[in-house]
Amino acid sequence: MAEKIPKSLNEIQTEVIETDLLIIGGGNAGCFAAYEAKTKNPSLRVTIMEKAHISRSGATAAGMDAINTYIRTDKGETPEKLVKWSRAQVGGGPIREDLALSNAELLNETVELLEEWGLPIVKDEDGHYKLRGRWDISIQGEQLKPIMAEKAMEVGAQVFNRVVATNLLMDGNRCVGAMGFGVRDGKFYVFHSKATIVSTGGACGIYKSPVTDYSGAHHQTWMCPFNVGTGYAIGIRGAAEMTSMEQRWIAIRTKDFCGPVDTISVAFGCMITNAKGERVMEVRYKDVGGDKAARFYRLNAPMTEWLEGRGPTYVDTTILSSEEAKDLREDLLNERPSFVLFLASRGHDITKEPVEIYGSDPYIVGGHTGSGYWVDMKRMTTVLGLFAAGETAGGNPNKFVGGCAVEGRLSARGAVDYIEKTTLPPLDTKQVEKEKERAFAPFMRGPEFDGVNPMEMEERMQRLMDEYAGGIHQFYRMNEERLDHALKNIKMLQDQTKYLYAKDLHSLMSAHEVSDRLDVAEVLVHHLKYRKETRWPGWQTRMDYPEVDPNLDCFIESVRDPKTGEIKIFTRPFEQLIPGDRTKA
Amino acid sequence: MQKTVPKTGIFIFDQGKRLARSIDLDAVIQRLARIKNVIRCEVLTDLAAPLPSIKEDFTSDKFNRIFWVGKFSDYQKKTIQSELSSAGLNPYMYEWCDLEEQGIGTKGVDSGIQTQKAIILIQMTLARTRLLEPLEPLELPAVDASLIIGAGVSGLHTATSLIGLCKKVYLVEKESGVGGKVASLHRLYPRICDPRCGLEFEIQKIRESDMIEVHTLSRVKSLFGSPGNFDVRIEKQSRYVSEEKCNACGECMKVCPAVIPEEQRSRESAFINETSQQVLNSLKSDKKAIHPAVPMTYPSTFVIERQYCPPDCRECVKACPALAVELEQTSSELAFKVGAVIITTGWDPYQLSKVDEYGYGIYPNVISNLEMERLLEDPPVLKEIGFIQCAGSRDERHLHYCSSVCCSVSLKQVLFLKEKLPDALCYIFYQDMRTPGFDEELYQKVKSLNNVIFIRGNPSTVKPGDNGKLRIHAEDTLSGKEIDLSLDLLVLAGGMMPSQGSFEIAQLLNLPQNNFGFFESHLQCHPEESQRTGILVGGACRGPMNISQSIESSHRAAMEVLPFLNRTILIEPKYPVLDLTKCDKCKRCMEECPFLSYVFDENGFPSLDLTKCRQCGNCMGICPLIAISLRNNTIKQIAAQVQAIKPSFISKEEPVILAFLCENDAYHAAQSAVEYGLPVPPNVFFIKVPCAGSVNNALVADALAFGIDGVLIAGCKDGQCHYVKGNQLVKTRSGDLSDKLQKMMIDPQRVRFESLEIRDSKKYVELVKSYIEELRAMGPNPFKS
Amino acid sequence: MPPKIDREKCDSCKAEKESLCEQICPGDLMTLDEDKKAYCRMPRDCWDCMSCVKACPKGAIETRIPYQLGYHVAKLIPMMGTNTITWTCIDINGKVERFQYINRGMLE
Repeated sequence: MAEKIPKSLNEIQTEVIETDLLIIGGGNAGCFAAYEAKTKNPSLRVTIMEKAHISRSGATAAGMDAINTYIRTDKGETPEKLVKWSRAQVGGGPIREDLALSNAELLNETVELLEEWGLPIVKDEDGHYKLRGRWDISIQGEQLKPIMAEKAMEVGAQVFNRVVATNLLMDGNRCVGAMGFGVRDGKFYVFHSKATIVSTGGACGIYKSPVTDYSGAHHQTWMCPFNVGTGYAIGIRGAAEMTSMEQRWIAIRTKDFCGPVDTISVAFGCMITNAKGERVMEVRYKDVGGDKAARFYRLNAPMTEWLEGRGPTYVDTTILSSEEAKDLREDLLNERPSFVLFLASRGHDITKEPVEIYGSDPYIVGGHTGSGYWVDMKRMTTVLGLFAAGETAGGNPNKFVGGCAVEGRLSARGAVDYIEKTTLPPLDTKQVEKEKERAFAPFMRGPEFDGVNPMEMEERMQRLMDEYAGGIHQFYRMNEERLDHALKNIKMLQDQTKYLYAKDLHSLMSAHEVSDRLDVAEVLVHHLKYRKETRWPGWQTRMDYPEVDPNLDCFIESVRDPKTGEIKIFTRPFEQLIPGDRTKA
Repeated sequence: MQKTVPKTGIFIFDQGKRLARSIDLDAVIQRLARIKNVIRCEVLTDLAAPLPSIKEDFTSDKFNRIFWVGKFSDYQKKTIQSELSSAGLNPYMYEWCDLEEQGIGTKGVDSGIQTQKAIILIQMTLARTRLLEPLEPLELPAVDASLIIGAGVSGLHTATSLIGLCKKVYLVEKESGVGGKVASLHRLYPRICDPRCGLEFEIQKIRESDMIEVHTLSRVKSLFGSPGNFDVRIEKQSRYVSEEKCNACGECMKVCPAVIPEEQRSRESAFINETSQQVLNSLKSDKKAIHPAVPMTYPSTFVIERQYCPPDCRECVKACPALAVELEQTSSELAFKVGAVIITTGWDPYQLSKVDEYGYGIYPNVISNLEMERLLEDPPVLKEIGFIQCAGSRDERHLHYCSSVCCSVSLKQVLFLKEKLPDALCYIFYQDMRTPGFDEELYQKVKSLNNVIFIRGNPSTVKPGDNGKLRIHAEDTLSGKEIDLSLDLLVLAGGMMPSQGSFEIAQLLNLPQNNFGFFESHLQCHPEESQRTGILVGGACRGPMNISQSIESSHRAAMEVLPFLNRTILIEPKYPVLDLTKCDKCKRCMEECPFLSYVFDENGFPSLDLTKCRQCGNCMGICPLIAISLRNNTIKQIAAQVQAIKPSFISKEEPVILAFLCENDAYHAAQSAVEYGLPVPPNVFFIKVPCAGSVNNALVADALAFGIDGVLIAGCKDGQCHYVKGNQLVKTRSGDLSDKLQKMMIDPQRVRFESLEIRDSKKYVELVKSYIEELRAMGPNPFKS
Repeated sequence: MPPKIDREKCDSCKAEKESLCEQICPGDLMTLDEDKKAYCRMPRDCWDCMSCVKACPKGAIETRIPYQLGYHVAKLIPMMGTNTITWTCIDINGKVERFQYINRGMLE
C-alpha cells in the first residue's frame, strides 16, 4: 500500500492516550501483565502497545511445544531446587537468586492458569503434567499466543496493534509512558501513563545469522527476528541500568534451519555425536557434567568438534523408532512447524540419518540468560515507574515461557502498587515534539534522499558484530582490539543513522530497528570488554583472557548518560541465597 | 464467567416398545449411566407418570438440563414443555433427539450396529446439551407507525388498510397530488368505470382519518435505524400556496399568464396534417404555472411551478381572495420515527423513443398506450388506427420481460374507441395475445367487433406517408401475406419499467434489485419482502401487474408490516453473538449476511441489528476465526456433536458419513426417507442446521481430523434458498476446502455439497448409498486412527 | 520461507482495509499489491511462523523453504478445526505424512 510521504510534521496526526498502565510489547509477559493488572484492579486503565498484532506477535508466533519450567512437587522438586538448577546451567552464575526464587514460587499457578484458559498440557496416567525432562512439560501449544492474547482482551486491556515504540516518555528520572508511530496508519502516538512495563522480548539480528543470503533465508534464526531489542534500547537511552549483557544466549541449534534442539535432545534423549560416531559430551566434557553439562558447554561442543576436524556434529535421532520420530515432529509442529517442512525438503528420514547441529548466531535474551534491565524485587528498573518483564528483564536466566509469564504477573503487581501511590505530571509537549521529529525523520527524508537505506546499515552492523564481537563465523571468539574496532564502528554507524531514509512506513520501522540494535550493540560491546575473563566459553570467549577471574564473580552493569552518550560500566556484588555448590544442579 | 456444572437427565421414551425391538436399550442405558454428570438416564414407556418426579429432581437441582430421546407427537411435546416450565425449567434448556429419523429401526440393519449408532447419537445430543444456556426472548420497543413511499393506487390502499387498523401512517408522495399513474387512465374494464372513482373512495377515508399525515411534493432524504425503530427524514418542496388558506377557487388560474410549455412531441413538423394536429391538440394540457394538485386534487391546495413564472410576476398574489399565495415559501425538512416502511413507488412507461423503428417522438401521430388513455377522453375523428403490441417489451434490445397488462389495455382501448368512433378501422399487430383469466371475455368481445383486424406480426420501420399519414408494412405470419397500410394514428402498447422513484429509493436504502430493476423479493413465498427486514414492497414497483393485483399486493404488504408496529418486538433469543476477543474486523460476516444485518460500531467491530437478523447462521458459517455463534447452537456445541461420532463404529473399513442438513429442505428429505421406510444405510449421521450456509469450514475440518470418511453438506438449489444465497456461500467455501484437501493428497470428494428439495427422500437415500460406495473405493480417511 | 500465494484463490479479503494475512503477520511483511492480491514484501525476512497460512480463509497461501536450505518441493499444509489442527507434510520424494492433535482444551 503506497503511503504518501508527509511534507511537514504538521501533516502527521498526533494521538495522545492517557492511561494508568502502559505495557510495551504484547507478548507472553505482556499479556500476562495485562491479565494480572486488570484482575487485581478492574477499574485500572491498562494499555498494550504492540508493533505487530498481539494474536500472533513475537517469539511465540507459531506456538510452543513445551513449557520448560514446572515444579513437580509430588516428585520432591521445589522452587529452591529449580533456582539451583538454573544457577548451574549458567556455570554457577552470578544470577539474581532473589528474583529467581520469587519467580519459581508463582510458577506452577501461572502454568495452571494457561491450562484453564484452554492450553492443552500433556498429562501422565495419574493426571499430573507429564515431564519430558527434569522440569520440562509438553504442551500442544500451537494456539498459545492467541489464547493469551484473547485473555488480555477479555479482561479489558486496551490494545493498540501496529504501533512501534520509539522512545520512553520521561519526566526527569521517571518514566511516564512511551512514544511511537503507527506502522499502518502513520500517526504519532503518545502514551501518557502512570507506570510502564517494558516486555518487548530479546534482541535478535545484532549479529549476522549463519545462513543469511540476499535472496532468502535472512531471517532463518532461532529467535524471532522481529524482536530487535527495542525494549532494551529505549531503556538504555532513558539511562536505565542494564545487567549482564555480555551473557549472550547462544545454544546448539539444528544446522541451517537454526531450529530448537531441546525437544530432540531433552525430550527424546538424542545425544550429541560427531562424524566419528563419538558421544561427544560423554567423551570430552565428562568433568563438567557430560550430557547434563551447562548449556554453554553444550554449545561449544559442536563448534569445537567442527574446528578440530571431527565434524559434522549431530543429535543422534537414529535411535528413535518411527513412532517416536513422528511424535517428535508433531511436537515441533507446535513450535517451529517449518522445521518439519525443512526435513521434508531434504527428504530426510531422521530414523535413518541423524539431525545435524551447530551453534546459532548470538542473541540477547533475558529469558534464557541474564541479560537485560537491572530490576528490584517489584521488577522496577532503575528508572522510576518503569518495570521490566520477560526477556527484557535481566539477572534471572532460564525463565522460558513459564517464567516470563510469571514475570508478567509480578511486574504487574509491582506496577499496580506503584500506580496507587502516584499521580501523573502534565505532558511535556516539547519532548513530544522532539520525539515526533526524531521518529519520522527517515520517512520525511523520502525515498530520493541521497543516504543509506536501513537494510544496508543492518547488514553492515551484522557483519561488523559477527567479525569483531564474537559472532558465529568467528566461533564466538573475541579479543580487546577487535572489540575496540567494533565499538569504533558502531559509534560511526550510530552517527550515520542521520542518513537513513525510508520509502514507506515499514521501512521506517526497519530504520528504527537498526538504530535500536546499534544502541544495544554498543552497550553489549562495553560489557564484553569489561568482562576480561572467559566464564562462559561460547557465550563470551575472550581469546586474550581464556581463564576465569575470581574478581569478576559479580554482575557487570552499565548506564548510558543521556546527555553525553557515554556508557558507564561498573559492578554489583553477587548474593548467594541458596547454599551449595553453585555449579551443581 | 460463572461455570455451571452441566447435570443432565436423559429420558428415552419408547412408546409401544418400538425402539426395544431394534436396539438393546439396556446396553444403551448402561453405557450412558457411566458418563460423568449424567444424573438420570432411563427408559419411559409412559409420559404422565414420570413427569412429577422429573419436575421434582429439577426443582431440587439434581439436574439442570434434560433431553428427550424418541418420537413425540406435537401434543406430547407441548405437554412436556408446559409441565416443565411450570416447574421453572427454562424452555431453552432441553433438547430432543429422534433416533428413528436418523435411521434407527431401519429393517435389515444389524441390531448391534444400531445399538452402537443409538449410543453415539445420544452422546452427540449430550455433547450439545452440556453447553446449553438458559435464554430469554428479547423484547425491543417498536414505534407504532409506518412510512409509505408513493401515493399511487398501491400506496393509497396500503394507507387505508393500516389506518383502518388504527395504525399511524406517514404517506409521502413526490408529486403535488396523490393518484399516480392510475389517475391518468381513462376507463377501467369491465365496469367501464373511471379509475378516479376508486381512488376517490380511498382518498375519502384518508380525509376523514386523523391517523395519517400526507406529505406531497416530498421525498425521503434519509432512513436510518432498524425495524421497529427507523429514523426518517423527508424533504418537502414548497407549494408557494398556503395549505391552510387555499380553498381551490381557481381565481389565480384565470389571471396567470404563464402556460407550461409542452414537450416537443414530434421532430418533423412536415408531418403535421389535420388529423395529427387534432391528436396534438387532444394531448395538450394547457396547464398554467399555478394549478391544482396533479394528478388528483388531494390535497386540494394549488401549487405553483415557479420555473415557469415570468420574472417579477405577482398576478396570482393579487388575484387570490384568500391571500393564500406565498411566494417566499422555502422547502422544509421533517423528521419522524416509524416501525416499518412500505415502498409503493410504482412504475414508469418505457421510453418508446428508444424503439426507433416505430417513430415515437418523430411523428406526432405515433403515441403511447398511456397517451391513448388521454386521447380517449375526446378523440378526434380517426379512420384508421393501428396498435402495435409488445412495443419495446419481450425484446432483447429493450425490456426483456412481458409487461403483462398491455394486451388487455389495448383491447380495452379498442372497445372504447369503437364506441366513440364506430366506423374506425382498427388493426392490432401482435406476437401473442395474453389475456389471462376473465380477460378472455374481453378478447372474444373485441374479436367479434366489426373492422377490428388482428395481424400476427410486428411491423417494420414506420415511414411517413402521404398527407401526414403513417405507412406501415408488416407480414402476417399466420397467412404469410404482406400487408401495407396507411394509418391516421399508431398506438404503441409500451411496457412498464421500474419508476425513477423506485431507482432512487433502491439507492438510498440499499435495496437489492433484480435483473430488471424491480425490487428483488422472494417471488413465490414472500413477494412483499425486500430482503431488508422491516422494509416491504407493494404494487407495480415489484413487477408489471394490473390494478387489482397492485391492490392485493399492497394489502399483503400492510399485513406483513403489522408485527413491526406492535408496542414491542419479540426477538427469539437464538441470535448470533460475536466474540470480540477473536474478531479481527475482516468484515466477511457483514459482506455475506444476506439481510445486511451488521454494521460497524464505533470501534470498528461488526454490530448486529437484532430486529433485522433472520438467525440463519450464515455469519457463523463464514467467520474465518469462528468468532460468531448462534446462541444455543454454538460452534462449540456443533463441534462437540461432530467429535462425539465414532468413525469406526461399524468396522475399521466401513465408511462413516457426517451430513449437515439444512432444516428447510434437506432435513425433511432425510426425515421422510425414514417415514417412507426407504433403506437408509446406518453409515450416515446427520446434524440439522438452520441453513447450509451456517456450516463453518472449521467444523468440516474437525470431522475429517477425527476420522470421519466423508462430509456431506445438503442445502437448497440455487435460487431456492430461504436465506437468498446460503447454499452458494457454503458451496464456494467447501470448494475451497476441497481444493486444500487435494493439496493435502486427500480425495477432494470427501467434502461435497448437494442440493436436496423437501421431498427428495429417494434422492437422499441414493446420494448416501452412492457416496458410501465412493468412499469404500477411496479407502478409509487417512486420519482415521 | 517466502509465502507463496495462489493469486486466483486470493480474493483480497474483499479488498478490506487490511487483509487477514496482513493483519496477522508478526513482521509486517504481508500486504496487498496494486492488483489487490496478497504478497510478501520481503521474502527473505519471513520467519515461517505460518500465521498467514493459517489465517487465510481461502487457503491461498503456502509456505516454502528457501532453496538455499532445502530442495524443491516439499509441502506442509495445516487445516484448522475448531479445537484441532491437522498437518499434512509431503516431502520431495512424494512421501505423505499426517499429524493431528488438539490445540485448544483440556487433555484427559
